[in-house]
Amino acid sequence: MKTRIKEFRARYNLTQEDLAKKVGVRRETIVFLEKGKYNPSLQLAHNVARVLKGKIEELFIFEVKGKK
Amino acid sequence: MKAKNKTERRDKARLTAIVIISLLVIATGSLFSINAFMNGETAGGFLGIIIAISILAFALLVFRRGNRDIKEGYPPQDERSKRVLEKASSTSFYVTLYFLLAIGFLSEDIIKFRDVSQATSVAVGGMVILFLIFWIYYNQKEI
Repeated sequence: MKTRIKEFRARYNLTQEDLAKKVGVRRETIVFLEKGKYNPSLQLAHNVARVLKGKIEELFIFEVKGKK
Repeated sequence: MKAKNKTERRDKARLTAIVIISLLVIATGSLFSINAFMNGETAGGFLGIIIAISILAFALLVFRRGNRDIKEGYPPQDERSKRVLEKASSTSFYVTLYFLLAIGFLSEDIIKFRDVSQATSVAVGGMVILFLIFWIYYNQKEI
């Protein structure tokens, strides 16, 4: 999974700490989300999309395994 | 504001519970070690010390992190940390089942245990150490 959280975060001048506080998670969770190393729940994906004023499918890019 | 205070209170109560449970486990581990050393079972004594130190280190880590997070306005536990905890618990449980099976097999003639309680203590100790290893592992890994 790839994410565009960092890019969207920069648009609104939000730090990882700010975003973490706004969506109610720990900062590490945002770090792992940005690295694409954590698959969030639909609730968290929705909250992140709401804070960053984007759509879930814009922020989280899922790749089907084995498909190029 | 009221809801935030309630959550903060609940988080602090959770941290205090972790500390109390850890202290009880450490006290039991220490008693186990003292008893083992007094009976001349050095390996059992050292195992108790290792378990007590591991739990103390884990409890201190959780308490320090949790306290800092509450002060900075972060939740001490979120969906990722809960998932890490669940995965570490379930994996250590399954591995311990095999560990118990191995202990049962080895206790026939390779390792001589004093009694069943000693073998169970070794299994519990193994589970604690495995849990810590898996917790550290899943904290770094993609989940």
